[in-house]
Amino acid sequence: MALVKATNKSANAQARAVQQSRPSLSDLAVLLRSNEPALRRQAARDLALMSEGVPVLCEHLEHEPAVSVRSVIMTSLIQSRSRAVVEGLIRYLRSENTALRNEAIEALQDMPAEIAPYMERLLSDPESDVRIFAVNILSVLPAARAPEWLHKVILEDPHVNVCAAAVDCLAEVGTPDSIAALKQLRLRFGDHPFMIFAIDAAIKRIGGSQ
Amino acid sequence: MKAARPTALSQEAPSLTLQEFAKFCEFFYRKTGIIFSENKRYFVERRVLERMESSQCSSFREYFAMVRFETAGHEMQRLVNAMTVNETYFFREDYQFDALVSGMLPDLAEKKRPGDTIRIWSLPCSTGEEPYSIAIYILEGWDRADDFNIEIRASDIDSRVLGEAHEGIYGERALSRIPPEIRKRYFSPVAGNSFQILEELRESIDFSTVNVVDAAHMQNYSSIDILFCRNLLIYFDDLARRQAMETMYECLAPGGFICLGHSESMSRMSSLYRPRRIGDAIVYQKP
Repeated sequence: MALVKATNKSANAQARAVQQSRPSLSDLAVLLRSNEPALRRQAARDLALMSEGVPVLCEHLEHEPAVSVRSVIMTSLIQSRSRAVVEGLIRYLRSENTALRNEAIEALQDMPAEIAPYMERLLSDPESDVRIFAVNILSVLPAARAPEWLHKVILEDPHVNVCAAAVDCLAEVGTPDSIAALKQLRLRFGDHPFMIFAIDAAIKRIGGSQ
Repeated sequence: MKAARPTALSQEAPSLTLQEFAKFCEFFYRKTGIIFSENKRYFVERRVLERMESSQCSSFREYFAMVRFETAGHEMQRLVNAMTVNETYFFREDYQFDALVSGMLPDLAEKKRPGDTIRIWSLPCSTGEEPYSIAIYILEGWDRADDFNIEIRASDIDSRVLGEAHEGIYGERALSRIPPEIRKRYFSPVAGNSFQILEELRESIDFSTVNVVDAAHMQNYSSIDILFCRNLLIYFDDLARRQAMETMYECLAPGGFICLGHSESMSRMSSLYRPRRIGDAIVYQKP
């Protein structure tokens, strides 16, 4: 028969050895620059267990070429969520590296309580791209103030793409109170057919149970 | 996934409007990757209305806002449980076993030498239907099976089901999809109108207790070539899913495959793996 029974002896010993070693912050910072992605992933996991490890991990992200290592860093940061983590990740909303920027957005979406105090500031950022990314973060955030923030965006933001992102989000989280603001937006961007379409669709969706 | 049995709702229970149904489906898809088309409207509506009643919400709007904005995600989990009732039986989602013998194993065999080990892991294995189905499919459907040492590991967090898996006794319902000639070859009748799987097969599988979210525990498993992890992650929250996918990445050998349940989508969990279509199955490969 081709089937043979597996054993776990060597793997168990290896796991015990890993658990027994407890490297220092500086050892881990060195490991994080190793050529071997598996070692960098392990270093990232261990660094996340130390409060001083958060800035090291946030800083390392922009130099890290391997998706698998960045993924472990992001997951570790989500797990140890804090204001320090949010501040360490927000900078990547301005990154030219699309993959890293999207990973940062996804990670920030996973820490709703920690990102919430920063939302108003991000929604008023001078860069329209950052405001769009802020709306993207908001689009999945379980934040009770989301409709209020989005109303402000569609009433005040001058950029059509920022408003379009907010309309898309309001279609899900909007309340009947959103309809007046959406109608005002319709007047403001009446010469953009896609906005008219998106606004009408959002109003219809919000009014679904009226 | 199978439809849950409907329960009685009060006669005055409201129904969802078309817009509410669409809004709910979009949200549920984004959160879980599960798509409900229009022909599932009755099923979805019944489950949502049941959850509304249980959570004492008087309108869909109130219920949706509760699910959407609840940080802890408890109601979301109850909703997922209501929408997905899993059951286990032999040859379940057999298009993945077809992909195993027609695509994944031949792909791995190209990179291995005769006599090398191919490691397959069924996680969670519940009462054993999945690992035994894998074993039978390999023995019946892969002509190079004798060229390699094939290890099948089967793990679950629940030691009680592992005991049942090792015993290998099943009723008619669990075996209903097995062709008669295969049943004759691998099972023998036992008391109580049940059937027991061949001892040789039972003894060839390594059953063990594993907690997927315990990284130290998972470190015991490495160089896995094919991992079946079906209909488990749907019950995890986003962070636990990410962690599980990263832990499994460490367990897999380069080029190793993960098979998820049909209602689970890797794109919502991790970007670590490359999707591959093999026959009717989408599987995910570690680069």
